[in-house]
Amino acid sequence: MKNIIRAEKVNKIYPNGCHALKDVSVNVDKGEVIVIVGPSGSGKSTFLRTLNQLETINNGAIEIDGIDMYARSTDINKLRQDVGMVFQGFNLFPHKTALGNVMLAPLKVANRAPKEVKKDAESLLKKVGLADRQDNYPNHLSGGQQQRVAIARALAMTPNIMLFDEPTSALDPEMVGEVLDVMKDLAKEGMTMVVVTHEMGFAKEVADRVMFMEDGELLVSDTPNNFFDTPSNPRLQKFLSKVL
Amino acid sequence: MQLNLKSLFWNAIFVLVLISVCWLIYASGKRIDYNWNWERVVPYIATNAASSINAPADGEIVLAANNQLVLQNLSGDTIVELGGYSSLSVYEGDLIFEGDSLATIEEWRIGPILQGVITTIKISAWSLVFALFLGLFIGLMRISSNPALKKLSVVYIELIRGTPLLVQIFIVYFFIGTVLDLERFTAGVIALSVFTSAYVAEIVRSGIQSIPKGQMEAARSLGMNYPKAMIYVILPQAFKQTLPPLAGQFINLIKDSSLVSVISITDLTKAGREVVSGSFAPFEVWFTVAALYLILTSGLSWAIQALEKKLSASD
Repeated sequence: MKNIIRAEKVNKIYPNGCHALKDVSVNVDKGEVIVIVGPSGSGKSTFLRTLNQLETINNGAIEIDGIDMYARSTDINKLRQDVGMVFQGFNLFPHKTALGNVMLAPLKVANRAPKEVKKDAESLLKKVGLADRQDNYPNHLSGGQQQRVAIARALAMTPNIMLFDEPTSALDPEMVGEVLDVMKDLAKEGMTMVVVTHEMGFAKEVADRVMFMEDGELLVSDTPNNFFDTPSNPRLQKFLSKVL
Repeated sequence: MQLNLKSLFWNAIFVLVLISVCWLIYASGKRIDYNWNWERVVPYIATNAASSINAPADGEIVLAANNQLVLQNLSGDTIVELGGYSSLSVYEGDLIFEGDSLATIEEWRIGPILQGVITTIKISAWSLVFALFLGLFIGLMRISSNPALKKLSVVYIELIRGTPLLVQIFIVYFFIGTVLDLERFTAGVIALSVFTSAYVAEIVRSGIQSIPKGQMEAARSLGMNYPKAMIYVILPQAFKQTLPPLAGQFINLIKDSSLVSVISITDLTKAGREVVSGSFAPFEVWFTVAALYLILTSGLSWAIQALEKKLSASD
């Protein structure tokens, strides 16, 4: 089966000399759920952001659905429509209602008919359990609700891949569950997902593969069982002993 | 209750201070050797004084078929119908020469001061629109990653903010106006909008930069290109942020528009100066002019506040 994401020896060096990613290679199959864990500053968020070119890379190669991201002929805006992203800080558009947030990209990027877009947006909000809050502005929603709207917004462009950048880290503990539930549903539907998170429970339950990054290096990539129960890498053992 | 009394007390102090300032102005007006004649200003604002209808060409007054007087020219064509006027100064059979008074009419006409208000509104409105677009454009250049655009905008802003508006008006009118053969009004609008746009550009820049980076990232991650992300995500939010400083800038624009009177545009200020020389009531006229500017600026200020309130629905 062809990989839907192929990252080959990705290197990222910031202008200040910080070497954030060192030869990171990851292949993801269609429908796979990948969870990346690691201490803060390990480069896991940076790596995730290279997958839709919010961060450019210095060398290496990234292919999404067989399309080379850095080929001259590649339209990055088109490619990004296929890769939904959910941010730690939600980043909802505060001047639009929940419905408006979900509708904006299909209307302005895909140029679809407003009636159809509205119908789809309403069913997406229903899917994340916010049908009754569609006319609320983000500032009138709780963190968990905002993040669920953000997921619906990313899904509105019908992406094949969803990236989650610490989606529950900015949430109050009692709201983490509702966001994880939406993500679990997505995983069940067969969505290809790459998730950066500190929720080890989620990784154990949902992930097909769990990856461990530290200091810009991808050290371990294994099934959740092997990853958590029989870790062989000493640095992973040390990390797990701190977080579990 | 305690708090209520306290606020009542200080509100009373406020009213008291206002009253004493007004009294002071009134008293000093009385003290000086000056006859206050406020009623003299009124006809310069609007008047219903009789004005005469003059004959546009030579002719004769005849009784037309509908039993009404008309002025016929020498070849027998009707050129003025006099049926509508109540106070005629001609009779049937009169021989009329061009410029003769045919009738007088009483209707409300606006005086030079209101005419000046209209000019000031016109010049401010045009300048406001141009300054907004130009300022937005320059402001976007200012945050652009292209060094040429960025540096050009910096030079523009520094050049315009570093020279007095009065001098700019002279340069635009006498130099650019001569080169491009501009009318006074156009020159005035150009000078004012160029001047204001430099300030608007800085306001736009700070407004855009105050929007969290995540907003642009979220927009781009949905597949929007940079212009679309700007138009649909960043600018609507920045606009809301910049409304209060923009309001201040546009109020300044209305006040600055008084400077165009130096290139003989009869705006409110120049109208005031002309009326002073005709009415011999300088104090009254200038107070009136000030009050009219105040009405214009507070009108704008009120309108922008209403807009702000409308946009605050998402807060």
